[in-house]
Amino acid sequence: MIEIDTLSVTFNAAGRLVRAVENVSLTVGAQESFGLVGESGSGKSTILRAICGLAPISGGAIRIDGKPVAPQTRAFARQVQMVFQDPYASLHPRHTIDRVLSEPLTIHGLKTTEGRIEQALTDVGLPTSFRFRFPHQLSGGQRQRVAIARALMLEPRILLLDEPTSALDASVQAETLNLLTRLRETRGLTFLMVSHDLAVIDHMCDRILVMQHGKAVEALSREALAQGAMTTDYARTLFTASADRLMG
Amino acid sequence: MTLLSVQNLRVTFDTETGPVQAVRGVSFSLGRERLGIVGESGSGKTMTGRSVLRLIRPPGRIEADSMVFDGQDLIGLPEPQMRALRGRRIAMVMQDPKFSLNPVMKVGFQLTEGLRQRDGLSAKDARVKALAALQAVQIRDPERVFHAWPHELSGGMGQRVMIAMMLIPEPDLLIADEPTSALDVTVQAEVLSILDNLVKTRGMGLIFISHDLRLVSRFCDRVLVMYKGRIVEELPARDLMQAQHPYTQGLLNCLPRIGGPRTPLPALDRSQAWAQE
Repeated sequence: MIEIDTLSVTFNAAGRLVRAVENVSLTVGAQESFGLVGESGSGKSTILRAICGLAPISGGAIRIDGKPVAPQTRAFARQVQMVFQDPYASLHPRHTIDRVLSEPLTIHGLKTTEGRIEQALTDVGLPTSFRFRFPHQLSGGQRQRVAIARALMLEPRILLLDEPTSALDASVQAETLNLLTRLRETRGLTFLMVSHDLAVIDHMCDRILVMQHGKAVEALSREALAQGAMTTDYARTLFTASADRLMG
Repeated sequence: MTLLSVQNLRVTFDTETGPVQAVRGVSFSLGRERLGIVGESGSGKTMTGRSVLRLIRPPGRIEADSMVFDGQDLIGLPEPQMRALRGRRIAMVMQDPKFSLNPVMKVGFQLTEGLRQRDGLSAKDARVKALAALQAVQIRDPERVFHAWPHELSGGMGQRVMIAMMLIPEPDLLIADEPTSALDVTVQAEVLSILDNLVKTRGMGLIFISHDLRLVSRFCDRVLVMYKGRIVEELPARDLMQAQHPYTQGLLNCLPRIGGPRTPLPALDRSQAWAQE
């Protein structure tokens, strides 16, 4: 469904070229959940941003359903939506939840009905009474649910998840991951998920790509990860440093 | 030997809707060991750490039956004497280097400020000490870091600089508030082993505040689990997996594990009597 072919992203920082992503290729099948894992600066989020047209592509191609992506068009927005890392920064502080959720519908000329907004809130496990609240009246976990609800308003088939739970407490993370799993099952969504937490990626994804310094290091299946059957040193370092391995 | 003993600590904030208790009757004692305090956001763990240094601004109030550090009751101590303890005897490492280093001061100047002001060292001597401190936290090129601005450092480097800064006066007690949560896992492991080494070689007491149970269980000797401003369970870190309290168990079970089942993660049950007011 998503094909990324030798993608390179280069930023021009004050005359100095920064190669954030170099020749990364991956494919994600329909209704599959694919994970990108690596340290900060490894280029994993940049790949998601490149898909959405938020990062300058300097080489390679991104195709969805065999067609080159046309980001920042309405057709694209109906197909692909993104959930960002920080729920404190990704919701407009002066817009009510109602306005946040109805804005995508208005842009796409769809009818905004009371029922539709309330259904969207119910789907992500929030009470309908939250409709006229502002983001600052919500906790981090509740905000992230609103961000997920907003991403689902146009009924996309693909969700790009950029560290959706790393700003949340462990217990709230569990609830949010459960919500995402349930939504994927009931709506047949395709996930491309980024995280630095190997345990979270393992819980959510079928296949994993380990990245470092903008390059793909190793592709792993879920089984290979569980058995610790990685072949590169870096993937092994990440695996041994992963928090849940520390329990012994 | 007991380094710090806290009895019935309470932190209250007077708000428009009445007083809010962020910490409600916390008691613990600490020797020259590593004590972990774990809990979710809002559990009062940071407030407990800050209270020891009396770093809570009005309208917040700190009350305790006693808070004895090395024979002195911190509760009744006049502010000038409290200032003499801060940094020199009790130091604190804050969560995020991005917000805790002064962005308009070079790293070296910040590192040596205390040495020059407090200990009256010459700029030259302070510099030698600061460079040695940077080396102690395994910064490869101390000279470069010394002359760098905070924004030129990565998160892991910034965090090491903060640890170095706190360790220069060789405190007896170090309070580390989420010292690694802004860091990548591989860097996190490095910073922890640096802290661990320092605790062992210098015989410091350490209060390690974190929301990450797994990290605390590996790194600390003893763990306090906090919920809504109270300590719900205290246990040796190695027994964490056998925790009795349902809240501790809930916190442990809701974490995904590599190779774990794909079933929904158990959510924390807050309906029990212990979770009520």
